[in-house]
Amino acid sequence: MITLNVNGIRREVDVPADTPLLYVLRNDLHLIGPQFGCGLAQCGACSVLIDGKEVRSCITALSSVGPNQEITTLEGLPARWAKQKGLSAEEAKDTLHPVQQAWIEEQTPQCGFCQNGMMIKATELLESNPHPTLPQIKEAFTTSGVSPNLCRCGTYVAIMEAVQHAATIMAKGGK
Amino acid sequence: MATQSEKLTTEKTENVFGATLSRRQFIKTGGVLVVGFSFIGSGLLKADTTKPAVLKNSLDPSLPGSWIEIHPDNTVLIRTGKSDFGQGTTFTAYRQIVADELSVPFEAITTVIAGDTDRTPDGSGAFDFLGHGTPNIRKAAAYTYQALLDLASEKLGVPKDKLSVKDGIVSGGGKNISYGDLVKGQQLKLTIPVKGDLTSLFGLTIEGNPPMKPVGEYTVIGKSFKNSIISSKVAAKETWATDVRLPGMLHARVVHPKTLGSTLVAAGPLDKSKFPNSQVVVKGNLVGVVAPTEWEAIQAADQVASGTKWTAWKGLPGNAKLYQHLREEADWTTAPVSKGEADKGDPKPALASTHKKLSATYQLSYMKHAPIGPTMAVADVKADGTVHIYTHNQNPQALRGEIAMMLRTTPHHVIVHSYPGPGHYGRSNGGNAGAEDEAVILSQAVGKPVRVQWMRADDMQWSTQASAAFSDVQVALDEKGKLAAYQIDHYMPAMQDDRPIGAVIAGLPTMPAPQVKSDSVTSTVNGVEDNWVYASVPNVAERGHGTFQVGQKASPLAVGLRDHSMRTPGQFQQNYPRELAISESAALAGADAIQFRIDHATEERAIGVLKAVREASGWDTRPSPRTEATSTGSTPVRGRGVSLMLRSGTYWACVCQIAVTPSTGVIVVEKYTIAVDPGIVVNPSQLKRNVEGGAVMGIGHALFEEVMFDESGITTEDWLSYPIPTMSDIPEIKVVLIHNPKVGSYGGGSEAANALAAPAIAAGLHDATGKIMRRLPMKPAYVQAVLKA
Repeated sequence: MITLNVNGIRREVDVPADTPLLYVLRNDLHLIGPQFGCGLAQCGACSVLIDGKEVRSCITALSSVGPNQEITTLEGLPARWAKQKGLSAEEAKDTLHPVQQAWIEEQTPQCGFCQNGMMIKATELLESNPHPTLPQIKEAFTTSGVSPNLCRCGTYVAIMEAVQHAATIMAKGGK
Repeated sequence: MATQSEKLTTEKTENVFGATLSRRQFIKTGGVLVVGFSFIGSGLLKADTTKPAVLKNSLDPSLPGSWIEIHPDNTVLIRTGKSDFGQGTTFTAYRQIVADELSVPFEAITTVIAGDTDRTPDGSGAFDFLGHGTPNIRKAAAYTYQALLDLASEKLGVPKDKLSVKDGIVSGGGKNISYGDLVKGQQLKLTIPVKGDLTSLFGLTIEGNPPMKPVGEYTVIGKSFKNSIISSKVAAKETWATDVRLPGMLHARVVHPKTLGSTLVAAGPLDKSKFPNSQVVVKGNLVGVVAPTEWEAIQAADQVASGTKWTAWKGLPGNAKLYQHLREEADWTTAPVSKGEADKGDPKPALASTHKKLSATYQLSYMKHAPIGPTMAVADVKADGTVHIYTHNQNPQALRGEIAMMLRTTPHHVIVHSYPGPGHYGRSNGGNAGAEDEAVILSQAVGKPVRVQWMRADDMQWSTQASAAFSDVQVALDEKGKLAAYQIDHYMPAMQDDRPIGAVIAGLPTMPAPQVKSDSVTSTVNGVEDNWVYASVPNVAERGHGTFQVGQKASPLAVGLRDHSMRTPGQFQQNYPRELAISESAALAGADAIQFRIDHATEERAIGVLKAVREASGWDTRPSPRTEATSTGSTPVRGRGVSLMLRSGTYWACVCQIAVTPSTGVIVVEKYTIAVDPGIVVNPSQLKRNVEGGAVMGIGHALFEEVMFDESGITTEDWLSYPIPTMSDIPEIKVVLIHNPKVGSYGGGSEAANALAAPAIAAGLHDATGKIMRRLPMKPAYVQAVLKA
């Protein structure tokens, strides 16, 4: 058994230690936010946060993740925000992370397959830089990770606008 | 819905503009108006009298399914065979169109069912959603509206022409009744005329001419309603095709042949000590590996692949010789030459004149659709022969037909369940997305549900691609510098191969490889696709020349470089040479490229988009190249170019302002401006997002995208060898939407945008450097070569 800390919950999985985290999240823990895009860490569709840093779960062996490291998937973004803001359980119930709110308000996704990674990357960025400039946003999505976050539908303009919108929502405390 | 035990009190039928409304009144409350259909054409399924084994409702003409349901609580459900691929049309524009035809609020349409073959009526693909202004769903709604008025007229005792409807409430003679109350307590079935073949590329089409709501009375169309599926995707609450897990399901990977012509000598042995739960399945030349867990399937497939022996094959020209092959070796004589609809006069005399002329060849490479997720599917072949497929494809009904053909059964035995997935821009509009047939073959072999997931390299190397093409252009100006003659010959291999690749490799039945005689787009004939927009040119000749796919005839697998229509299919390949040639002609005439186009166009809407893009881009009117143009140095030089297209009833014009560094050949698009006149803009914010996405994809097509291949197969294998735009490649993008209600209809909006960048950027390169590059993509190395020449 391998112990993981996923979205604030301790989970135990019985899988080979070299299994990439992506397959464990999707197939064993039924967390469907991260998607299989390339298996090569070239696109970002599979991204999750580990201790607040965006990593590619498709090439991250389970054995490389410690039992106390915090894994956050797209499903865990609302709770992550609620915890950061100290929201009550009642308040948190229907709250999306500001990044998710902005993604909906800006109508960012087209097919949406890459957007898990885009929202994970946006969260990583905004947690360290609450008011990024456009060049900083471009830098975050292009050169800050092991590869650029790729979108084949070409939603980059909508992503840039949504990141700025999310920053505004976060500055107002989430509304 | 009423049940059979309920007592019928009345039953009657009446004619509604050629549709039939049948009414049964029940004692109990409940009730529904179901809009079904009857066949008037020779539908494939009509001819087939096999008793449906898995059919639930919608596909049996004797049990009409529904397009639209009106419920007693005033909610409305709509169904369409077109699955969503990210355009959002089924969730936004379709609801808006139905809401306006029915005179109900947008929010009343609470449910949209799309794609599933057992739950949707009409088939066809995820393309041409707006159907040149009259998609099926609009006609279905128009018939429904008339039936509702008939019901209200009788109920209220007021003549139909004295009734009006607002927000689903029918009023007249001082009385009113809601749609919900009209259907309450009754089972109403409206049967409307339909023609076509359900499992064909274009599916069924609603016939007849029910009265449509006048454009001036639209209240829902024209507003920016949000796309409902975005919320569930963003919140990780949507079930994607990739998320489908069936009880007892096995994971699989396929070991594809070593080359596009290799046959199997022997499948590699499976190391049972390492992979005790895996199993190898061989069918013809198809090798599959199944395992209970995904990670074991991946590793076991790698191990089997390393020991699998294939015959060698070399039958492709390789990248470097592609155009030489197409020009000198491909056989363009078997397919009849297509002629343009706008052909007129005779270009020959002008082309023989002593005035200024242009004679040039333009080349476009193969491009991948390159979905961001590789194709996958789950199949469950039951012991009784029924087949369930869980997938993400653009034409579930056509897939149903392809799988039935492969299994030598009828479509009745196949159900395709449609889920969201990565967009693939036309690749599956003729049916399969790539992995469905392989999942079916493996599920049948092991007697369990099987999930086949292609890896990134499978998707790059075994999927179809957009055809390479070249065009020969000849232009002559007159003494005033106007276009006197325009002649173009387009050459492109067959652009659509809908054969499921796993079935081909396994040696199972499929439709034939592209051939001359074909009843669909799978023919080798190359039609003239680019609508002519320069109506004042006196002599025009456009011709399309087609041939077989490269390698198709030479491959023992009959595979070769399989092509498939991709966003703006055919027209992309033809508009690029035309628009670049028009910009070159303007330069030859010493004229401004936008004004030159305006001077040759007569259609007001074409001129309108050109003027709009000129103003919005800050275009400085002057000839190209600019006076400071230079093709040397390490300092970026700047230029701009324009392009124009008419597609699916929509006019498009684009200006790209670029910077190019001559010493490196690197082109950067700094500002991209696009003007769109679709007639009526159904949903401004959705259209804007679609256009922005297409614009970005188009920059990729123009600058980066080229399928690399050697003599045996495709060598492009991942995102490093097939780069697409990243966020850092994104210019300032300005979208100008021209709402033009007097057109009286709405045109398409998610295609075309991807095609406009290439000729505009190429013209910009000429403007900046004085050098013309007539080849896509404009990769730095290729640009450098042109600038040094």
